[in-house]
Amino acid sequence: MSKLIKYSPWLVHFNTGACNGCDIEVLAAITPLYDPERYGVKLSPSIRHGDILIVTGAVTKKAGERLKRLYEQMPGIKYVVAVGACAYDGGVFKGSYSSISGGANKVIPVNAYVPGCPPRPEEILRALLLLLDREKVKGDEQH
Amino acid sequence: MSSIKEIEDIFSSYIIGKDTVKPNRPRFHIDVSNLKEAITLLKQRFGEEALYISNIIGVDKITEGIIEVNYFIHIIPLANTIVIKVVVPRDKPQVPSLIDMIPGAYSGECETYDLLGVDFVGNKYLKRSFFVPTDVVSRDIFPLRKDAKV
Repeated sequence: MSKLIKYSPWLVHFNTGACNGCDIEVLAAITPLYDPERYGVKLSPSIRHGDILIVTGAVTKKAGERLKRLYEQMPGIKYVVAVGACAYDGGVFKGSYSSISGGANKVIPVNAYVPGCPPRPEEILRALLLLLDREKVKGDEQH
Repeated sequence: MSSIKEIEDIFSSYIIGKDTVKPNRPRFHIDVSNLKEAITLLKQRFGEEALYISNIIGVDKITEGIIEVNYFIHIIPLANTIVIKVVVPRDKPQVPSLIDMIPGAYSGECETYDLLGVDFVGNKYLKRSFFVPTDVVSRDIFPLRKDAKV
């Protein structure tokens, strides 16, 4: 993990065809209730300022092209977090004619997955902290 | 319920059948050739900016050989939504476009054309691959048709 973004990761949230369930949880995770700014986590105004791309939803073929283009526009050190079962492997939309078979990692490299349908906001924040090496994993826990 | 009666009176001569989708949402069945006249009457009664097409839903009924096109029209002064149903044959689905009267019909018509192949005559913006991915379009498939193999 680079020290450059360790204490100030800026997020970009992109919905590639989700049902909005995961988006609501991502938005809940950046509210003052969970207060991600204590970790330096902020939403970025533009993809060109973003450090971490949060992908939610099954990747449709049309959104897949846009997702790749967004990823290529991100600067230097960049990470991708796939939130939810759909971004992991397609979820309930697996095998649909309009979605890419498999999850977001078929289009762009993914650094962390958050399982769940939808995951809790705490889990999304914890995944970010694990990615940034700022949270320890307990002995019997795998990730 | 008086408002629904009021709407019914406006284009009562065009109505072939009537049923109810759910309470307070009537569905009027209209012949496809009278669709534009019925909308014109609604516009004359409620004004230019009173109609809002919230949805255009096509239904493929393969056993009957027809495609239903349902227009969900929200009438703002009455705060009520009505449904106008037209039926077209499955092998030649042609419906007059409403885009010259209600520009907001654009996205609904393009979507129904792309997914079901209903041709809205007069809409020059219709194109494939509005929603459907290009590899499905290149095989000339309308994915919401019941006999589509995708």
